[in-house]
Amino acid sequence: MNNALSISGLTKTYKDFVLDGVSFSVPSGSIVGLIGENGAGKSTTINAVLGLIQKEAGNITILGKEQLDNKTKEQVGVVFDGSNYPEILSPRRLNRVLKNIYHSWDEHTFLGLLKKLSLPIDKPIKQYSRGMKMKLAISAALSHNSKLLILDEATSGLDPVIRDDILDILLDFVQDEEHSILISSHITTDLEKIADYIVFIHEGKVVFSKPKDELTEQYGIIKCGAAQFDALDKSDIIVYRKMDYEWQVLIADRMAMQKKYPKAMIVPATIDEIMLLYVKGEK
Amino acid sequence: MKGILLKDLYIAKSGIIITLTSLFVLTFGLSFLLDVTAILMLAPAVSTAAVYISITNDASSKWNKNVITMPVTRAQIIGTKYILYILLSAVGIIVVLVSLGALSLMGITVTLYSMLFNAAIGISVALLAGGISLPCVYFFDAEKSQIVYMIAFVASTGIITVLVLLINIFIPVKNNILLAFYIVLAISFVWFAVSYKIAAYAYQKKDIT
Repeated sequence: MNNALSISGLTKTYKDFVLDGVSFSVPSGSIVGLIGENGAGKSTTINAVLGLIQKEAGNITILGKEQLDNKTKEQVGVVFDGSNYPEILSPRRLNRVLKNIYHSWDEHTFLGLLKKLSLPIDKPIKQYSRGMKMKLAISAALSHNSKLLILDEATSGLDPVIRDDILDILLDFVQDEEHSILISSHITTDLEKIADYIVFIHEGKVVFSKPKDELTEQYGIIKCGAAQFDALDKSDIIVYRKMDYEWQVLIADRMAMQKKYPKAMIVPATIDEIMLLYVKGEK
Repeated sequence: MKGILLKDLYIAKSGIIITLTSLFVLTFGLSFLLDVTAILMLAPAVSTAAVYISITNDASSKWNKNVITMPVTRAQIIGTKYILYILLSAVGIIVVLVSLGALSLMGITVTLYSMLFNAAIGISVALLAGGISLPCVYFFDAEKSQIVYMIAFVASTGIITVLVLLINIFIPVKNNILLAFYIVLAISFVWFAVSYKIAAYAYQKKDIT
């Protein structure tokens, strides 16, 4: 399978933070969710992919090119956590501006999306709600024949209805197998709905990069007491966390563990729980 | 590049209209008090204020980050501001020249010599101030761009004085006023072009977050 985006050994050092050899890929036709707590390195990774920051080491291949030239940029739609367009402009004027920036700008698609999403075309962006601004940014990102969509915290701070609308747009976009999405988000429930793969970054390092189904269908949490915890084979434990009244143990194959420990209470793990256990748990 | 310039014009439109209207009114107002061509000294620099409005707006709306992801080079992004700066200076001069033309039709004396002299100083001030302030606002704090612009404007008058004094070592300025100020003008053009090259080079390496 071809990759729309491949990152290998990406490194960037700041005074108080290091993005340390990040590697993962976005297969064509898939949605990859990038998760991690604030300051974990999600935005730094995306900024390096987009050429906003200079990387110190590593390779980034985007739509088959190692250099993010203008031709490649035409095929990459980007949405940040704000609209990032001059708020004094109306979508009509923004359309004229972007038409003169993107050679592949599709005015009909843009205007059609505005209509579909009920965004007033002559209203200045500053009068839009946050949800409307994000819808506008996504409409613009989808209006220049993008093959890869990169969204950095695009659904943060939005109500569930608007988030759902946006997720529908994204799912619609990847119906074409040539289209792919890299989306970073704090809201892991959104990623559970749409992502094919989950990449978890913690303190500048990729902790895991796995198919979402493997995480949600195979991973599990053993909830047990101290005695039961001591009886567990330590090689079965990915991470564990001691809570007030119980131990929570993350395991990779809950079916197999249920057979091995028939008396144990094993529950499916959500991506949120997996992330929390990795961040706050012990090995 | 055309799209970015169009965006800048949309943002700065009202600022441009106000500035140009003020220049037009000022030219007529001053015609009753002093040599009206003196307005040519101010016009190019004053007209460029809208560039700083667009730079501040770019920073506050995070357009700077967004535009890097679009199919334009960083040199083009910087170049657009320099082009806008030159364009607005030229428009400022044209507005004043049109006003002066109207005044001379009304019988007010406007000499070619004073027009050339004042325009040379005005354009030099604008180019020197732009050459200083445009890179500064990109590399320091765009939010303070208008203050930087004013400081650069004052600095440019000082630079012109120094340049004239230096020229005076080789050519007696009193006898060759126009020549001296055209040399200053040529130096200002070179400085503006060098400033663009420096800004484009440094912006290439800058992390935008």
